[in-house]
Amino acid sequence: MQGTPSSSYGAKVSVRRRPHTSWAHAIASSLRKFHPREQVRNPIMFVVYVFFFFMLALTFVPELFPDIEGADHDSLYYLAITLILFATIWFANIAEAIAEAQAKAQADSLREIRGSLKARQLLPDGSVQWVSSGHLHPGDSVEVHPGEVVPLDGDVIQGGALIDESMMTGESEAVVRESGGDKTSVIGGSRVLQGVIRVRITAEPGAGFLDRMIKLVEGTTREKSPNEVALTILLAALSAVILVVIITLGYLLGFVYPNLLNIGTLIALSVCLLPTTIGGLLSAIGISGINRVGKANVVAKSGRAVEAAGDLDVLILDKTGTITVGNRLAVQFAPADDVDMTQLVKAAITSSALDDTPEGRSIIRLAALRKVLPDKVDREKVRFVPFTPERKMSGIVLADGTEFMKGSATAIEGYAGYLPPSLRNQVGEAARQGMTPLVVAVNRKVVGMVVLKDVIKPGIRDRIRELRLMGIRTVMCTGDNKITAAAIAQESGVNDFVAEAKPETKLSIIQNEKHYGHLVAMSGDGTNDAPALARADVGLAMNSGTSAAKEAANMVDLDSDPTKLIEIVSIGKQLLITRGALTTFSITNDVAKYFAIIPAIFVGFSGIAALNIMGLTNPGLAVLATLLFNAIAIPLLIPLAITGVSFHPATAVELLRRNLMIYGIGGLVSAFVGIKLIYLGLQYLMSNPAFISLVEAVRGVMGVL
Amino acid sequence: MLSVAAETPEILATVVIGLVLARSLGDYLARVFLSRPTLLDSVMTPVERWIFGILGVNQYHDMRWREYAAALLLLNGAAIAFVFFLLMDQGSLPWNALRAPGMSWDLALHTATSFATNTDFQHYTPESQVSLFAALLGLQMLMFLSASIGLVVVVAFTRGFIRRNGRIGNFWADVVKAITRVFLPLAFLAALIFVFLGVPQTLAQSAVITPLTGGAPQIVPLGPVGSWNGIELLGSNGGGYFSANMAHPFQNPSAVTNFLAILLMMAIPFGAPFMFAQMVRRKEEARPLFATVLVLFLVALLLFLYFESSNPFLAGTGVGQGGGYLNGVEDRFTLPESALFQVTSVYDNVGATSMSIGALTPGAQIVLFWGMFLQDAPGGVGTGFGVLLINVILAIFVGGLMVGRTPEYLGKKIGRDQMRWAAVTILSHPFMVLIPLAVAYVFGFATLSAGTGPHSFTVVLYEFTSESANNGSAMGPIADNTLFFNLTGTIIMLVGRFLPILAMLGIGGSLAGEDQLPPGPGTLKTDSATFTIYLILFMTVVTGLLFLPVLVMGPFSQGAMGG
Repeated sequence: MQGTPSSSYGAKVSVRRRPHTSWAHAIASSLRKFHPREQVRNPIMFVVYVFFFFMLALTFVPELFPDIEGADHDSLYYLAITLILFATIWFANIAEAIAEAQAKAQADSLREIRGSLKARQLLPDGSVQWVSSGHLHPGDSVEVHPGEVVPLDGDVIQGGALIDESMMTGESEAVVRESGGDKTSVIGGSRVLQGVIRVRITAEPGAGFLDRMIKLVEGTTREKSPNEVALTILLAALSAVILVVIITLGYLLGFVYPNLLNIGTLIALSVCLLPTTIGGLLSAIGISGINRVGKANVVAKSGRAVEAAGDLDVLILDKTGTITVGNRLAVQFAPADDVDMTQLVKAAITSSALDDTPEGRSIIRLAALRKVLPDKVDREKVRFVPFTPERKMSGIVLADGTEFMKGSATAIEGYAGYLPPSLRNQVGEAARQGMTPLVVAVNRKVVGMVVLKDVIKPGIRDRIRELRLMGIRTVMCTGDNKITAAAIAQESGVNDFVAEAKPETKLSIIQNEKHYGHLVAMSGDGTNDAPALARADVGLAMNSGTSAAKEAANMVDLDSDPTKLIEIVSIGKQLLITRGALTTFSITNDVAKYFAIIPAIFVGFSGIAALNIMGLTNPGLAVLATLLFNAIAIPLLIPLAITGVSFHPATAVELLRRNLMIYGIGGLVSAFVGIKLIYLGLQYLMSNPAFISLVEAVRGVMGVL
Repeated sequence: MLSVAAETPEILATVVIGLVLARSLGDYLARVFLSRPTLLDSVMTPVERWIFGILGVNQYHDMRWREYAAALLLLNGAAIAFVFFLLMDQGSLPWNALRAPGMSWDLALHTATSFATNTDFQHYTPESQVSLFAALLGLQMLMFLSASIGLVVVVAFTRGFIRRNGRIGNFWADVVKAITRVFLPLAFLAALIFVFLGVPQTLAQSAVITPLTGGAPQIVPLGPVGSWNGIELLGSNGGGYFSANMAHPFQNPSAVTNFLAILLMMAIPFGAPFMFAQMVRRKEEARPLFATVLVLFLVALLLFLYFESSNPFLAGTGVGQGGGYLNGVEDRFTLPESALFQVTSVYDNVGATSMSIGALTPGAQIVLFWGMFLQDAPGGVGTGFGVLLINVILAIFVGGLMVGRTPEYLGKKIGRDQMRWAAVTILSHPFMVLIPLAVAYVFGFATLSAGTGPHSFTVVLYEFTSESANNGSAMGPIADNTLFFNLTGTIIMLVGRFLPILAMLGIGGSLAGEDQLPPGPGTLKTDSATFTIYLILFMTVVTGLLFLPVLVMGPFSQGAMGG
């Protein structure tokens, strides 16, 4: 489990068990959701629920409704409608149950870790006593020894330790936590591998990091986000108005065309027109949004933060660690006039033979690409001249006294006593492009230079381009000088950069952007990032960072990967798009449903055939086919609701056009085709003698009842 | 179709001239409400100061929306009460040469409400039931007032998009300006032209004429028709000075007055998008809104002409129908002239009529119904555009989600507060049409007044739709001066008018309190063809969902849809 805890980049192995959903559990839970207390929470499905019981009564005890039911009572038709209504509600329940089961599985695996912990509490008199973690309060101090588990979130106040956080973060790499500096925070539930630390508890029992995460995924703290509330208002209004349309239609038919009135058909029509597709899937969409954030190993403190992520239009990115790999790497050799390339390369790698800095190793790697390998250097017989800030150069002195040195142009000029004019030009040119030229000299003879450069991370250009396409402006923040910063900014494609930034610069950038109404996100890990993290609309703290940073942020990335911000933006957008897409789908579906049911209601009207464009000649079957399509749409769209609509970065107008085509026109076409197919299927069944005898048998049984 | 085709240039020219005028008027309206210098400053500024002095109003006091709405409701309530008593007591008041008796309380209430809500639905016969005194001091005053209120509501709504202090202007200052800067001068100008074109303008209430063919002398009602016409049409009021309204030769004597009437009706409703865009300082935003309204309007006009171009029942009989289906068409005008007038009148929620709507083909009736269901293509003065903006907000909410951002329009986020009011607006119209309709049938009032059969259903549906949309056009035959229709109508018109107005002010007020987000590439660009098409489809689908069943029961059931 040991490793170098320095960089958070490189190969990572996730060890956290991916919790899997229990289907049996989901099905059971979906049946429990038939309880009225559960149903009443979703106004749209509650209407369907009430209709279901009404139809149930109408089917089996029509005597209760002497006013509306006469001799034409067709209990079999009503039974079919009743059953489809039941299925509609159940499908919606299943959608929510699946999403919840996924969330619960995540929570369970977290709870398993937490267990109940014992800890050594340090008493004010210096003595130690064992207490249960439930009795600890913020401000208490505990001592944790190797092999023990940190009881609650806290800050290291004394000592340092190698800590395994894999249960929480899925990171197999152990991390160092020590007092002082930016790496003081420890998570409750993590295990100390080496060293003894004293920790001051910062969280109440039950309010720790782990507990918050459990609560969020379990949904106990889940409240409807503002956007979800607004959408619910719209859907409720739409439902209310559809109900009024149908109820008044019922009365009008009753008084104007009494022979056309069929309560079952009217109820079927209203359920079809109600936005049941989005209504049934709305809560599943919200829960899955949080789940997806969790799957990305990010803890969001509220659903609101996830939605806000979709709205971001400015991202503040640190240069080091986010845009660049973090170290300058050799990219080019440039020999002096009278020196050939191989000679320079040889000299460069020899001078770096004992240089363990990433820069030094990168020179050797670059040389290897040119098939030049370093000569064997006997470490015992050479003298290493390390780099110091004063000397500004480093190198080795071989046993025979040959000196191989590399360093800044000024340092080498001082060492060699001269700098060839052509090389001086190249050095200046490289510096102007934001690169770092290192001049190489052998025995005070200048042989050429190696150019080092900040190397941007693979793939970051594409991601920044995608962000730009989504309309998100990226601002790079770096402590480097302007020239270097400009070069990286240009290469990576960020919109803007701030050079020579101090820790407090981020806060002022955020305040400035917010002043102009932008929604800003940033990532950070240090205590001095905390004010900016708190001020940002989305503040993503690195799990490796300090407690202060994690407290201030509204999201914490367990992988400590600052580029995760980009992923979070996509999840937030996906969440909103899924809601909008399914709402549009529901509405355009209705158009096709009207064309199926209106001709079925107004049978015999002159000219009504013009509306029957699907050619559904049997009105009863047309109604059942439409209702069935409406019910089936829910389970068919559960996967979409759970995984979210696929999101490809594009401009807003392109996204609108695309999603309108897929979910608007698609909703229209699929409803026409789907209803027609189901109708044909039903028609086929009704022509099948075996099915007819089955129907007759049911009719017989119902007659007895 | 022959005569229709021959008159295409005339119709097209009328529409184009109307739109050009509307455009410049929109710019003028923006200048007025942005308090920029205009030509009338030297005359009107002292007048306005004087009025504010009398009213004791500080015109620079910016109101929050509740205060604005309270002032608006107060003024309307007072105006309705005043006219209500005026109409009830007109029998004992002066200028009543034709001895119109005082109205019954329910008819007076309906009439006062009708003119105050910009509906101008007339359950009475103007020639014999309203004195000149009540017409001028009561009804014509309300025509100015209701038009001004409609306009200032959308001005206040618009301010929500540019303000950040939660305030939407001063109601009293806005109303006074709407009257002094817009309706008085323009109606005055229009009246002059009408009089010049032969429309009577006199305080004499009748003339006694002996017919050339001999026989008993006849009493011909007269009055200040020219000035009435101006505000009737310009303010999308639509209540006729005569019962026959714009089919009456004194109100609309020639093709030229018909042309002028169309321009007046189009002027403010079609100018509203330009006023809006100027006021929010994004000129390009007029395009999608104007295009939406224009497309819906032109499609309606074409369909209306198509359905009226021949009698479906005569198809294949060999009977020549070169002039179109002329039943219900005033024969001083051609079918296309009448059609343009009627479609403009109904789609601009004016409600003035120059045709007999009940005599049109069912298809043409559906076209008129559709305009009243939409209410915003382009709809009445101010409020029509307000309804369009609410539809834009709804469309953006759904469409904006599909773009993956919290929906926003012109930099203002559309959230819970706005959706609540927008939802109220979608509910109000169908509720006010369908619930009274069901009540009227369940309790037998409908059959009592309109008889039975598909056409009678259409007539009752038209009555309530017209009242709820504050349109005012009517389809006969229906005996609607009854307690039930007067009271129901009053409620429908009040709700149909003031609920959307409250929603517009409520949305404006809540938007005014929000920060303005800068536009960026991630913002849904509303000035785009994609959005315009989407908006048109959105409005069509939502309106269709709500009203298709009653359309099928009504005009659709009356006959074949062929052209």
